[in-house]
Amino acid sequence: MATIELDKVDKHYGAYHALRDISFDIADGEFVVLVGPSGCGKSTLLRTLAGLEDITGGTIRLGGQRVDNIAAKDRDVAMVFQNYALYPHMTVRENMAFALKLRGDTLPDRNAKVDKAAEMLRLTPYLDRYPKALSGGQRQRVAMGRAMVRSPKAFFFDEPLSNLDAALRVDMRSEIKALHQRLGATSVYVTHDQIEAMTMADRIVVLRDGKVEQIGAPLELYDRPANIFVAGFIGSPAMNKLSVKIDLKSNAARLADGSSFSLPPGTRARDGQDAIYGIRPDHWILSRGDQGAPATVELIEPTGAEILVAAQLAGQRVLCAFRERHALKAGDTIALAVDPATAHVFDKQTEQRISP
Amino acid sequence: MRRSGLASFLLWIGLTLLTLLPVWWMLVVSMRPRVKLYSKSVLIDAVYWDNFLAVLNSATFLRYLWNSMLVATSNAALVCALGLLAAFGLSRYRISGGDNVFFWLITNRMAPPAVFLLPLFLLFTKWFVFGDAMLFDTKIGLILLYCVFNLPFAIWLLKGMLDGIPLELDEAARVDGATTAQVLSNVILPLARPGLAVTFILTWIFAWNEYLFAATLTSSANARTVTTALAEYVSVTGTNWGEMAAMAFLTTLPALIVLGFVQKHIVAGLTFGALKG
Ligand SMILES: Nc1ncnc2c1ncn2[C@@H]1O[C@H](COP(=O)(O)OP(=O)(O)OP(=O)(O)O)[C@@H](O)[C@H]1O
Ligand SMILES: [Mg+2]
Repeated sequence: MATIELDKVDKHYGAYHALRDISFDIADGEFVVLVGPSGCGKSTLLRTLAGLEDITGGTIRLGGQRVDNIAAKDRDVAMVFQNYALYPHMTVRENMAFALKLRGDTLPDRNAKVDKAAEMLRLTPYLDRYPKALSGGQRQRVAMGRAMVRSPKAFFFDEPLSNLDAALRVDMRSEIKALHQRLGATSVYVTHDQIEAMTMADRIVVLRDGKVEQIGAPLELYDRPANIFVAGFIGSPAMNKLSVKIDLKSNAARLADGSSFSLPPGTRARDGQDAIYGIRPDHWILSRGDQGAPATVELIEPTGAEILVAAQLAGQRVLCAFRERHALKAGDTIALAVDPATAHVFDKQTEQRISP
Repeated sequence: MRRSGLASFLLWIGLTLLTLLPVWWMLVVSMRPRVKLYSKSVLIDAVYWDNFLAVLNSATFLRYLWNSMLVATSNAALVCALGLLAAFGLSRYRISGGDNVFFWLITNRMAPPAVFLLPLFLLFTKWFVFGDAMLFDTKIGLILLYCVFNLPFAIWLLKGMLDGIPLELDEAARVDGATTAQVLSNVILPLARPGLAVTFILTWIFAWNEYLFAATLTSSANARTVTTALAEYVSVTGTNWGEMAAMAFLTTLPALIVLGFVQKHIVAGLTFGALKG
């Protein structure tokens, strides 16, 4: 097991700047998830860690030792690929023992390690099968087993669950999490899936266009997104982003129609500043009295646990999620209020958070 | 479904018979004594082995047969080894001008081989001369020459095969601790086996059947191959058709046997891309 330190990592593909000045540290045994929109450089970053891509600037340290100039085979890390990359001409046992064989472990040693990992992953009955005779979930577990048997310094996962169906994905998700808790291995995990990121990560790294947008614990990112991008990216359904003007005299964010919401205490704003007022769908309060901004209901989607209401508010579409079963129908006018403590305010220009 | 099944069955029977007719004719002629050669019947009227015995008792023919075996097999092995390495390079590394190299290799096959006859003769007798030794009339000379002709084809075929092996497998092996040589031997080689089998057979058969260069660039039992032996049977004093047919039959036999053994691989090799799943 080992720490991972990235310092000013840069990666160019010809003229294309794929990773820009990436610096962060991963603690020993930490589970870090990389998220970001497609093409933002998640796989590229993971592959530079594994040694499958060279970097064009900066340094990478693994367990304190500089590795960015070391070939993949000498880094002693393991990688689980999106399509598993099992060797089709080897049995499950041979697949799992391959790395051990390459580094010269004896046969009894290899067998003992493979048997142990297979038992942990419930693969024992399949050890003599070839990958093509396995289901998707079993293949996924073989790929995990292949990584586990070596007790490498770090595990890298590139969207390992994206080829599985939804139900299996949920199972494997908790299985990977359980394995991590058991092995305590430093892990970096790439995913598209919000829920995977939120549930599995010790810390999430949000990437955009090859740059780090924010790093933090899942709830930290959810509760205090550092900028508009992270605010929109973390959380599902996404945060409502209302264009507002700051009115410092009444300490409010004013909408185009004149209605307003209070600013969270401690917001660093100028009078008249253009800003984005962010509210998570489940933070709307359906107001009974005459406080709150008037909105027109457009669409209602009851999901059972909650009611999703799409409404028109001062010319902007907003989404609300109510846990109470309000009797609403399209065309109704409702009054929406907000507890300012749950709101997020961002500068429209810099896109950075200005509320505390 | 039934009817079209039957029709295609009959069609294949017909095509097969048509293909086999010359082979059958060869067998019929080889089983006839000289006097009966020109009879109209297409059936074997008596079992007559003398032609075969004459051929098999000829030390020269056996020598030629041995030469052919050696040349064809060494050539096929060499082509497979070199072709795999070249295809690995072209498939896995971004080589500047790699596509051009590839195209240039293929264009080598576009001119009719006879065009190269005179330059090759001069090269073999005048240029590649080392002391007393020269490439002319040597098995090595033929083996190397056939490599020149077979390699483009082999590289083309094997590159297609290797391009079908997912790059992730190489990468997985590297992360597992494999050197480039180990990636090649533990991952690429086993997965390219069908392609290698096809390459081996087709280049083997090319070398086995080649006549033009073998006839021009060899002059003695030292390096002559069976195809040239066949031509030597056409003589001014009259051709012994029976013995020639027997020899032709014996010449075809190894190719048929080899083909029979690897038929399975050939089919697998020609349907490659079937790796995924
Ligand atoms: N070999 C390459 N040559 C040139 N550009 C590349 C290469 N590999 C990746 N890129 C570019 O680098 C960027 C980042 O790619 P990367 O695969 O890391 O994205 P990603 O975040 O993993 O996306 P996804 O979620 O779709 O997998 C993309 O714009 C891609 O086009
Ligand atoms: Mg990716």
